[in-house]
Amino acid sequence: MRLLQKTNRTYFLVSGTAFLIAAVVFYFVISLFFKDQLNEKLFHDIKNITRTIKKNGALPNYYPFIETREVSAQKEQSFKAIDTLIYDGFEKRKIPFRQISLITVINDKNYFIAARDTFIEEDDLLEVIAIVTGLVFILLLVSLYFINRNLSLKIWQPFYKTLNELKEFSYERPGFRLSSESQLYEFTELNQTLEKLTTKAISDYQSLKRFTEDASHEIQTPLAVIQSKLETLMQYPGLKKDQAELINSIYVYALRISRLTQTLLLLTKIANDQFPDKKSINMAELIREKIKMFEDQILEKSLTLNENIIPECFIETNFFLAESLVINLFSNAVKHNIKSGMINIKLEKNYLEISNSGEPLPVPASKLFDRFYKTNKTYDSPGLGLAIVKEICRLNKWEINYVFEDNLHKVIVNF
Amino acid sequence: MKILIIEDEKELVGSIKNFLEKEGFLCETSFSYFEAEDSLSAYNYDIIILDLTLPGGDGLDLIKLIKERNRQAGLLIVSAKNSLDDKVRGLDMGADDYITKPFHLAELNSRIRSLARRQHFDGSNELIFNEIKINTDSNEVFVNGTMLDLTKKEFDILLYFIVNRNKVITRESIAEHVWGDNISYADNFDFIYSHIKNIRKKIEINSGRNYLHNIYGIGYKFSER
Repeated sequence: MRLLQKTNRTYFLVSGTAFLIAAVVFYFVISLFFKDQLNEKLFHDIKNITRTIKKNGALPNYYPFIETREVSAQKEQSFKAIDTLIYDGFEKRKIPFRQISLITVINDKNYFIAARDTFIEEDDLLEVIAIVTGLVFILLLVSLYFINRNLSLKIWQPFYKTLNELKEFSYERPGFRLSSESQLYEFTELNQTLEKLTTKAISDYQSLKRFTEDASHEIQTPLAVIQSKLETLMQYPGLKKDQAELINSIYVYALRISRLTQTLLLLTKIANDQFPDKKSINMAELIREKIKMFEDQILEKSLTLNENIIPECFIETNFFLAESLVINLFSNAVKHNIKSGMINIKLEKNYLEISNSGEPLPVPASKLFDRFYKTNKTYDSPGLGLAIVKEICRLNKWEINYVFEDNLHKVIVNF
Repeated sequence: MKILIIEDEKELVGSIKNFLEKEGFLCETSFSYFEAEDSLSAYNYDIIILDLTLPGGDGLDLIKLIKERNRQAGLLIVSAKNSLDDKVRGLDMGADDYITKPFHLAELNSRIRSLARRQHFDGSNELIFNEIKINTDSNEVFVNGTMLDLTKKEFDILLYFIVNRNKVITRESIAEHVWGDNISYADNFDFIYSHIKNIRKKIEINSGRNYLHNIYGIGYKFSER
């Protein structure tokens, strides 16, 4: 929910309740006030009538508003106020009247004097109050809405500017600055804090990146020395079997570390987007060429290869990354296959699907693209292949999915 | 043949020098940019091995100097893996070949030999090992005068063996030489074996001798014994 929406909704709820309460109170106060006024007026009427009778003995009658008559017995002399219903000829229905009556002695005669007047009808009153409060309420809401909108446009403007600038934030661009300035203390502080945070993040990131690259590079040199020394050692004549096996074992593991650091370096470079030069690449051609690289391994495992590749499929990307993606996916399909299994490659204009037979995954598919995640501990590969594939896809904004269907492991890349 | 090795890692230089000297090359070494400058100004070399990351200066700048002073020299640059830019720039500036670090000594030897053949220092496009003769221009192999019917990969493997004759060659090195760097993604190198078997068979039919020996799980050695 947007801020403006939220405040508007709150204003609406609070002022709506307040207005409802106000209307009810208003109604009761008004009706009490009117009743009081009516009583006062009727008393006044009775006083006037009494005065007229005293003066000239005439009995004024104006039904139903004024009624006077002589009565025989004197009962009581106090005022009596009642509410009554009287039929009205115009409205053709009974309507409520307020009546104040008095039995009094004037010039030794007993008189019954009554003054009446119509109430304000409750329905009418209610209607009027509802309309008035409703109108005021709407007026208030409309003005609140405009005030809010103006405020959020003006006051919140630096906030939205900051937000937009933050969206553009990238680790790769040092010297990130927020340009918006505000008179408001809160926003100034927000910007200062954000700037501090981003500067720190960028410098941390840069040093981590430098460290990873340097570390990988620095590891390569001693490994190259170890590798060359071992290759020299292998040449010694009269090497015994167990000695040769020891040397070979060290050699194989040294190569593995070397491959691992290279792969990590590659991952870091992909993550840092250090492959900027893109060109149009024919994926179909690339795939057909890379398949050749695996011919011998396919033969060795007696795999059946089904190719369904469109003749041309041009994609704008970095050549090295495209190559890396294809090799990693394909080598996985070969590696995690079973003897006499199969590999299907399907390339369409906007997607690449590589599926292969193999044991079902012993792990959740969601972990498949994690670094160092191995499904099978017997393989020497460090489990970085799919992590590289995932990084390449992320960088190119391609979507990658894995499914296990019809006993086939399927990886689909949508370009 | 005189080779200049420009590389700052002394231990690595030691191994390379040791290996190449046994191959009959004359080796000199420079451990820094300035040493390299001195050597290049003073002497002529047939082949120069240049590591691009040097203390004291950019290896790429040395290429200019080499092209001025040692125009005839074959230039092999060594670059760290993954630094594609250096590779491309080096070749653009006139390097003849490149090799990525870490490399197999047998691979280095193979590159140098190929460079030497291309520069025609050996004066010949033929490699001879006893009754086996390889023509590197036409990619043909003769055993006792009979041409062998080899596949492209078999030819590459055999050439690699003969260039590195009498040396133990690891399976990893063969795989990377023939199938390229990316083959290291493979889970095993069993697929090499069938090619080796074929080569062995094809030579044996014509010469009656087996030169390809297994070396205790490390790899192979191409030698008389």
